[in-house]
Amino acid sequence: MTLVTEDGEAPTHPEQHTQQSEHKAVSLGITEEQVVKLKELAQRILHEPFTRRPWTELAFWMVSGVLGAVSLAVIAATLIVGIWLIITFVGLIIIAFSLRMARGFGRWQRTLAHNFLGETVEEPNAFVRRPGFFGWLQSALRDRVAWRSVAYFAVKVPWTVLGAYVAFSLWWDAITGLLSPIFWHGNGGPAMWGLAQGIFVSNGYGDGHGFGHNVGVFLLGVIFFFAASWVMRGFVTVDKLLIRTLLGPDPVAARVRSLEQARTTTVDASAATLRRIERDLHDGTQAQLVALAMRLGMAKEKLDDTEHVDIDRVRELVDEAHRGAKEAITELRDIARGIHPPALDIGLEGALATLAARSAVPTELNFDLRARPTPAIEAIAYYCVAELLANVAQHAQASRATVSCAQQGTWLRLVVRDDGRGGARLSTIGSTSSGLSGLTERVRAVDGHLQLVSPPGGPTVVTVDLPLSA
Amino acid sequence: MTAALRVAIAEDSAILRDGLVQLLVDRGFAVTGAVAEPAALRSSVAQNPPDVAVIDIRMPPTFTDEGLRLALELRAKHEGLGILLFSQYIETRYAADLLADDAAGIGYLLKDRVADVSDFVEALERVAIGGTALDPEVVTQLIGATRRSDTLSVLTAREREVLALMAEGRSNGAIAHALVISEGAVEKHVANIFAKLDLPVSDQDHRRVLAVLRFLES
Repeated sequence: MTLVTEDGEAPTHPEQHTQQSEHKAVSLGITEEQVVKLKELAQRILHEPFTRRPWTELAFWMVSGVLGAVSLAVIAATLIVGIWLIITFVGLIIIAFSLRMARGFGRWQRTLAHNFLGETVEEPNAFVRRPGFFGWLQSALRDRVAWRSVAYFAVKVPWTVLGAYVAFSLWWDAITGLLSPIFWHGNGGPAMWGLAQGIFVSNGYGDGHGFGHNVGVFLLGVIFFFAASWVMRGFVTVDKLLIRTLLGPDPVAARVRSLEQARTTTVDASAATLRRIERDLHDGTQAQLVALAMRLGMAKEKLDDTEHVDIDRVRELVDEAHRGAKEAITELRDIARGIHPPALDIGLEGALATLAARSAVPTELNFDLRARPTPAIEAIAYYCVAELLANVAQHAQASRATVSCAQQGTWLRLVVRDDGRGGARLSTIGSTSSGLSGLTERVRAVDGHLQLVSPPGGPTVVTVDLPLSA
Repeated sequence: MTAALRVAIAEDSAILRDGLVQLLVDRGFAVTGAVAEPAALRSSVAQNPPDVAVIDIRMPPTFTDEGLRLALELRAKHEGLGILLFSQYIETRYAADLLADDAAGIGYLLKDRVADVSDFVEALERVAIGGTALDPEVVTQLIGATRRSDTLSVLTAREREVLALMAEGRSNGAIAHALVISEGAVEKHVANIFAKLDLPVSDQDHRRVLAVLRFLES
């Protein structure tokens, strides 16, 4: 029999084939592996009541439950009083205090979970207090962490009561069941309580007699004994989940924080860009224009001196002014292009092709982008290529460069490679904010990445990943 | 002009530096040094002391207020050296720093002013001989920011014009020329202004500037 894979290739190792079919044969029943697993599971179930865990969980349940109930009582009482008095404004202060307490109670619960269960929940955001009494009041009333703590206690306390009822009834009934052969010799059933009472006693369990009945009660005790710790575990697991979601860091706040960071980067990057433009205008165009005005001023004064006009000197000044004006125009165009490259109006491919063609080092462009990125991404991609090619021309001593722009899912990947001397580092290539570090900032502002690989001797490869939309 | 006034220039823009040298030589000044950064001016002034130094405020290495700090330093070191600060924008605070104790031999002008060559040269000469030359923009800002505007409102429109020109550091003759009135009329206006604002009368132009500036700043 020959086995042919989906690709139509014959398998290279015949042994592999036989192993596979053997495996298939046993997997119809119960494999040895599964038997081992079942054994492990059984052992675990049998051992569980004799390990520390169910008892620390029970202890946690009691301590945190009592503390939780007291906390909820205090919070509820103060909140109710606060709401009652809300019209008198004192109510608001009481509510604020109540919320501040809720935050503290929440911290206690986190500590308990940490100490008893080894469950480490991150601290939520610290309370940010705005200045002044009203600032404090407002911050306290709008403290999301505190309100979430209130919600935690509102859910936790009923859950604890239910858990305690179920757990204690199981333990009680387990013990009474297990001890039934010693204490109850057919004189009616043992005192059932809680869940088991509800289920069994009403079904005439208490009226049972005889050996079979007694064995049944005993077996029930055995089952309860081993089940109790797992039931407890279930309740604790849910509580842990509650602690994590309601007493841990607020996912909304975390998102807000990450957005704030991104915004800061963006604001910084655009401030740096503005500063660069200002510097270019200040050092370039403005100085050009001042010099131009000065020359024209000199020429004008020479012409005003009607008795003796040094026409050659005037011509010279006007010539210089004319040249300066043309230079100023060129500089202004370059600066404007730095703000928004007009080449991008015809699309990224055309813009990159222009850059590649203009580059001092012969540059090849591979462009494979099906979706058009948003304008912000196109601009960043354009500046990256412009800056990187400028670096290649200035520092790399390369004879060739390639630029590739390809789509990878929802990402745009730019790769600029040169065959130069390598050894470039983020700190050395590109000077200040206008250099490569500036690019890195720009790329990061849209959650992108910039990676530089440049071993001494080359080649240098810079990879930039940008989301297609930002 | 008997002996040519000696001028040193610190300006990091090559275009402007060359242009300034050209202009000053053209107008008969002796340029003792034209440099691009503070340290070079320091040694140039020490080796070949000029009458006045033209200093760009924004220079390397940080391109912030190097020129201003250099000006304060040179003034402390070389008595009688005129300083003309040269900038592309006006920071009133810089003017206040510069005029903290004395307005003699101090100038603060926008670079644009070189376009009016005569005015610029006149301002430079004034600073070189211990006078004051403040850019009209500085004066406008000071007048606009003053908390004494209610007091200023007692002046007539003409008196306010005279006040502004006085604050720039101009002499009575120059004010008369600028407003196309007689010098006598200017003297009368000046006397009125000093009386109305209750300022100490001074015949020296730079003292007069300081008095007016103090009034505007207070």
